[in-house]
Amino acid sequence: MTAAVGFLRETWILGGRSLRRFYRVPANPVSTLLFPLIQLFVFSQLFKDIVSLPGFVASGNGSGSYLDYLAPGQVAFTVFFAVAWSGSTLLVDWRNGYLDKLRASPINRLAILAGELVPLFMVSMAMAAAILILAVLLGAHVATGLPGALAIVLLGGGFGVAWAGTSMFPALVTRNEQATGTLAMLFMPIAFMSTAFVPVALMPGWLQTVNDWNPISYVIEAMRSLMTVGFEGDVIGRALVAVLILGVVLQGATLWAFRRLTA
Amino acid sequence: MTQHVVEVEELVKVYPAARGGEPVRAVDGISFAVASGEFFGFLGPNGAGKTTTIRILATLARSTSGAATVAGLDVVRDAAAVRSRIGLAMQTVALENMLTGRENLELIGRLHGMPAGELRRRVDELLELMNLTAAARRLVGTYSGGMRRRLDLATALVHRPAVLFLDEPTEGLDPQSRAAFWEELVRINRAGTTMFLTTHYMEEADRLCDRLAIVDAGRIVVEGTPRELKRSVGADAVEIALAHLDGAESLAAAQALALTRLAGVAGIVSAEVSAGGIAVGVANAHAAVPALLRELDGNGLGVTGLTMREPSLDDVFLRYCGRHIRTEEADRPLETGW
Repeated sequence: MTAAVGFLRETWILGGRSLRRFYRVPANPVSTLLFPLIQLFVFSQLFKDIVSLPGFVASGNGSGSYLDYLAPGQVAFTVFFAVAWSGSTLLVDWRNGYLDKLRASPINRLAILAGELVPLFMVSMAMAAAILILAVLLGAHVATGLPGALAIVLLGGGFGVAWAGTSMFPALVTRNEQATGTLAMLFMPIAFMSTAFVPVALMPGWLQTVNDWNPISYVIEAMRSLMTVGFEGDVIGRALVAVLILGVVLQGATLWAFRRLTA
Repeated sequence: MTQHVVEVEELVKVYPAARGGEPVRAVDGISFAVASGEFFGFLGPNGAGKTTTIRILATLARSTSGAATVAGLDVVRDAAAVRSRIGLAMQTVALENMLTGRENLELIGRLHGMPAGELRRRVDELLELMNLTAAARRLVGTYSGGMRRRLDLATALVHRPAVLFLDEPTEGLDPQSRAAFWEELVRINRAGTTMFLTTHYMEEADRLCDRLAIVDAGRIVVEGTPRELKRSVGADAVEIALAHLDGAESLAAAQALALTRLAGVAGIVSAEVSAGGIAVGVANAHAAVPALLRELDGNGLGVTGLTMREPSLDDVFLRYCGRHIRTEEADRPLETGW
């Protein structure tokens, strides 16, 4: 019991440090938000008429507005970007000896890793909320109202923590910032091939198959369902399962690599 | 009975072979003890096993065999308890640049579970001690090298450790900051903290350590107070610059001739070539200089300069390890991972 309390306390202390490290460099939150904001704005204009394609509205989730369709996809995309560099901070700590300093302190070593995830969760939610608010300002409409918007933001946070493993794991294994960055790029197609921009019904057959296995699409579909339809238990359930599996696999691998690094 | 704060028994650390290499015995059977309140040091070149020893004592690495206790606690079995009794300042300064000086100290103090009131007082005290009070509210990223060193040292002291481990603590400091930093270390030691320092700077070991061990290739070569060690060399050094024409051949010829002439002179302990002349070890420099000058000045040789000095720890190192301490080696493997 006291061990668990200690772990949470240490995670909180270290999380506070990681969070400050993020927001005290204004470029971090600004650049994380800017690209998705521009994308949301431009794509919503550019592809405005895509909704009139046969099959778009019929594919479900169609309120008839492309902005409504795009916004949830853009939320997931933003979170995707927000955590794309999350492994590099661990590497910096490892290289300059800060990790050793923490390891020589009387704390649970896993709190070091957990302390990285706390701010990722908060940052992911903040980014998701910011995009959602902008979408609403641009004229988007959230069918489930404030509770649904909150659910979207929470889902974004959970997805962020899980997805961060795609950067943290390569970072800890390669121990090289550049390799971490270039490997993160390899995950880009997974986001682009998702249903963020185009409904699955309008995709070629092979891409539809790919999307059956694309966890990001499940997250986006749930967010979109909350945005344009309502509280659909099965869609949300599938997204939670996708996030859970992603989290267990990616953060499990990260944990393994972290233990190996600090053995 | 003396209280030992650090006790190390036959410590061995073998790193597994890198691709195509041999296993490395970084620490090869080291035993020593540090008494409470003592300033103890390891002096040795890079790659001697100094850092590995500190890492084992600080619970950051596991030894292959042997035993070590810190504050009476086993560094493996009681690792958690050891961690709350040690302070650690490593070769590279480890600070969070995006926190202020005060926040850096508070973070470490909180991780050590210090109560808020006590922590605040302790942080004030340390900032004052390290002359950082004025900069306490600035982000550490804006600090100078010397300030960063001092703050790093302060983070190692927040929780009042029983023993402070210092691994090459003045690496990269300019001479002035180094001297100031030494003052801090002496003051901390006088206030009761046991110190274990590793360094490859002779002056640093000489100036700071009550007692030191000279380490080379993973072993303790000799151990004692700096005074004892220097006396054990038993010779003063006389540096003699020889007159020569431009070019290495002329110098080499002069050096060879000088060494032959000294072969029969009484009282000479050692003689070897040095940059620009020869270095002679004698029992008593003041008494030997006239004789040296008689032999070397004239008959085709010329003395252009002469300096005498008492033995340094470098001489001690040379005597026991057969080479100078300053032989730098690229001993760190490139850590790219892939």
